[in-house]
Amino acid sequence: MTIFNLQFAIEQFPAVLEAVPMTLTIAFVAMAFGMVLGFLLALCRIYKIPVLNRLTIIYVSFIRGTPLLVQLYVLFYGLPLCMETVHQWTGLHMPAAAVSPLAYALVAYTVNSTAYQSEIIRSSLKAIDIGQMEAAYACGMTTAQGLWRIVIPQALRIALPNFGNVFIGLIKGTSLVFAVKVVEIMAVAKVIAGDGYRFLEMYFDASVLYWIICFLCERAIAVLEKKLRAKY
Amino acid sequence: MEALEIENWVKLIAQITAKVPLTLVVTGISLFFGLWLGLVIAMVRLGQNAILRAMATFVISFVRCTPVLVQLFLVFYGLPQVLLVFHIDINDWDALVFALLTFSLHIAAFLSEMIRSSFLAVGKDQFDAAYSIGMSYLQAMRRIILPQMAVHALPNFGNNAITLLKETSVAFTIGVVDMMGQARIYLGNNYGMNMFEIYILISLFYWLICIAIERSIGRMEKVFCKER
Repeated sequence: MTIFNLQFAIEQFPAVLEAVPMTLTIAFVAMAFGMVLGFLLALCRIYKIPVLNRLTIIYVSFIRGTPLLVQLYVLFYGLPLCMETVHQWTGLHMPAAAVSPLAYALVAYTVNSTAYQSEIIRSSLKAIDIGQMEAAYACGMTTAQGLWRIVIPQALRIALPNFGNVFIGLIKGTSLVFAVKVVEIMAVAKVIAGDGYRFLEMYFDASVLYWIICFLCERAIAVLEKKLRAKY
Repeated sequence: MEALEIENWVKLIAQITAKVPLTLVVTGISLFFGLWLGLVIAMVRLGQNAILRAMATFVISFVRCTPVLVQLFLVFYGLPQVLLVFHIDINDWDALVFALLTFSLHIAAFLSEMIRSSFLAVGKDQFDAAYSIGMSYLQAMRRIILPQMAVHALPNFGNNAITLLKETSVAFTIGVVDMMGQARIYLGNNYGMNMFEIYILISLFYWLICIAIERSIGRMEKVFCKER
């Protein structure tokens, strides 16, 4: 057996490439939902809504303080239990077995990225001078209008690099999702590697692929940043 | 599904607690080596040599852009094969060594960026001032620059330490029995019973350690900032 069979690595590259959409799907869905939910949580914290504020603090601390792998397992095995309990209490039909592992994975990654994004959004909203909001009020805008038209466009510029970091973190985080039976880049690489004991080649393929994806993301974020900055 | 007996809980908690030192040691040692290696990488990136600088940028980009799981496998499966070419046989080394190696290299890239940014934040005039009163480069570094860098870098360092602590949970995939590994072994022995409760328990362990790290970093920040 040769040390590193480059031909094998190149031959199997398309197979690994086919798994890219799954990786991107998980990252995009988690990013999108996480951004919306994170925004709501950030508002809870900024406006110090009595109970929700406390709960958000605990939630964020918990998510940031436990490994993603553990969160995946907790949700993958915990959600069916919750559904079963709900079924017993209310009689609602909850077919836990019919839900695909991907759905649990999406929930887990969303829950994870929500916590990180809520902190990013909170800090970027706070970075906008309070005078901006007061000026919006003075023009007769409501809080929602002021946020949407005045504060958020400015906050977005500040938050963008951090969003990029979260997204790249998510892409790399998806390499763990094979633990709950979802097949993405890492899983395909592992399966092919296991067939012929060609671990080095396949992990090489996977790492190159991740690298390319992250590099493209970085570039895209940089271009976006430039565009947003040009407006002002 | 049956609930776990109380004595089983106690046993499990004792087993996992016994593995807390290992997780802490892996995190600590990786941070230690990562810090020194990161310092070297940061100095190279700030230095004059263009070739070395390009290499350092390349390495940092690779490490930051690939999952730690991939890096772990590359080191665990790849390194012995590569070294075999030079007739160095490290196949019988403990998995822990490979884990430490991977985590050190991994965190070094992140720490080097932290060091670089805090070095730039201190500013060149501090160096000039140190030179003007006759200090050498090393003296200026140790007495003037590094203490100020520490203030800038500390919150960032805390984040990196917490991230690393959580990332050590993937070490079980190459056979290092840490907290996570102990839980997985317990589950394996009990046919996956009470998975949910056990993972909640293990997440509490990680959470507590993280809070402890956060607190101690916060205290250190206070100490460092008081000197200013």
